[in-house]
Amino acid sequence: MMPDRDTLTRQLKSTTGWEGKNRLLVQMARELPTLPASLRTESHRVQGCESQVWLITHWQDQLLRLQLDSDSRVIKGLLVLVLAAYDGQPRAAVAGIDFNGWLAELGLARFLSSSRANGLAAIVQRIRDEA
Amino acid sequence: MPTQPFDAAMLRADFPLLAAQPDLIYLDNAATTQKPRAVLNAERHYYETTNANVHRSAHRLAHAATEAFEGARSTVARFLNAASSDEIVFTRGSTEAINLVAQSWGRSQLQAGDEIIVSTLEHHANIVPWQLLAYERGLRIVAVPLLANGQLDMDAYAALLGNRTRLVAITALSNAIGTRPDLAAVIAAAATVGARVLVDASQAVAHDVIDVQALGADFLVFSGHKAYGPTGIGALWARTELLNAMPPWQGGGEMIERVSFAGTTFNRPPYRFEAGTPPVAQAIGLAAALDWLIALDRAALAAHEDALRLRLETALLARDDVRLVGTAPNKGPLTSLAFSHAHPFDVAQFLDARGIAVRVGHHCAQPLMDAFNLSSTLRISLSAYNVSSDIDTLLAALDDTLELLA
Repeated sequence: MMPDRDTLTRQLKSTTGWEGKNRLLVQMARELPTLPASLRTESHRVQGCESQVWLITHWQDQLLRLQLDSDSRVIKGLLVLVLAAYDGQPRAAVAGIDFNGWLAELGLARFLSSSRANGLAAIVQRIRDEA
Repeated sequence: MPTQPFDAAMLRADFPLLAAQPDLIYLDNAATTQKPRAVLNAERHYYETTNANVHRSAHRLAHAATEAFEGARSTVARFLNAASSDEIVFTRGSTEAINLVAQSWGRSQLQAGDEIIVSTLEHHANIVPWQLLAYERGLRIVAVPLLANGQLDMDAYAALLGNRTRLVAITALSNAIGTRPDLAAVIAAAATVGARVLVDASQAVAHDVIDVQALGADFLVFSGHKAYGPTGIGALWARTELLNAMPPWQGGGEMIERVSFAGTTFNRPPYRFEAGTPPVAQAIGLAAALDWLIALDRAALAAHEDALRLRLETALLARDDVRLVGTAPNKGPLTSLAFSHAHPFDVAQFLDARGIAVRVGHHCAQPLMDAFNLSSTLRISLSAYNVSSDIDTLLAALDDTLELLA
């Protein structure tokens, strides 16, 4: 069972310091299943990420379903947050989700200002484009 | 100026950014170095006392600014042991200098079917300008492969040289894996087929004594910011007879002799290649950086940096979860790493949390990464102000990080 948004918020907010947050992201990454090699294809790869990121989206009963993976554990931890924010959302809700605002609230704004942010931004943009 | 004894800890105090952040362990010097007070003071002093446009206005201040700017050119010439300061063209950096050679020398001298040899070690800045020229002119770009340790395959190089080879573009020190090619051998072999040689000294400039007359290359480029100088300034050195034959590549003020609508004649080199108001303060800052370097005992500096690299690499070689990427003899002071079970980005995140600045990625050398079948490495690059405790702190942080990511 993947942790929900409230649980993640509570965990990340109670962890102070950059090293602690990185540690937590790496722990969270363990919760996200590995995509089989057959799905780690070029068409599922998100361009603009310094590490490799794969994203598969589909709609099930009018709800967005995501499969995500990365070869970086820290990024994979961030993908757990992406999943918590967007997976299971109806199409109409996707545009209204302030993912960057949530990251800032969690003390992870650094991931938005570093070059890695481009990767995270590219992932979120690709999800928003689906809706 | 008398030679100062080499003392890295003392030097560190000379860098305001490092002095203000005593916990920072800056190991990303191949990307850019920090700046000594002398450089900051030189730029500030110029703006506070001398600022005016150069080579034109008929007033005392403009004269002083021109003197200072041309003095900076002389300092660069002296630093490289160029035959004349007329052989020094100021550019924004190595990238612009290489583009200048490609656009001016390349477009005027090269024809369809001509070949440019580059090495697999090259930074994108010493590949892409040649590719752009190749697309336009129908040239062939030929890459010299590497041996497994990251050395240039000199047999393959010799086999690639031929009567269509017009230029060999090669780094003096690989930014990604530290290899120093045998430049003397590369240049001597190029001469046997009459090919010109461009040396990318972007990384070498902070570590190696460069003597362009002894080297015997045709072009050499470097960036100031990798040698303790400001960003936005670098230089092209080229032999006078080459520069004299090269057409302008950018038009504007400064580079002309006489302009009319019937036709324009151009200034002599190096001014022909410096259109517009040059980066005067940056040139003066660069000269201050080079003077700062010249005043150091360069042999002692090189020995210090190499000792730090060996301290690091000896410890890393004992680990089975870390692989050194590039193990050529006579490497420069940088170490590129791949990990058996950790992503370099993740490792760098944890190092950063401990105030240790390193670089991860392809280092703008994707063909090189492809040759090693890697998408990225973690690079530790050393400088004059690094001390052995920097290495020990890094090694301890790597221990913790790799355990955490195991």
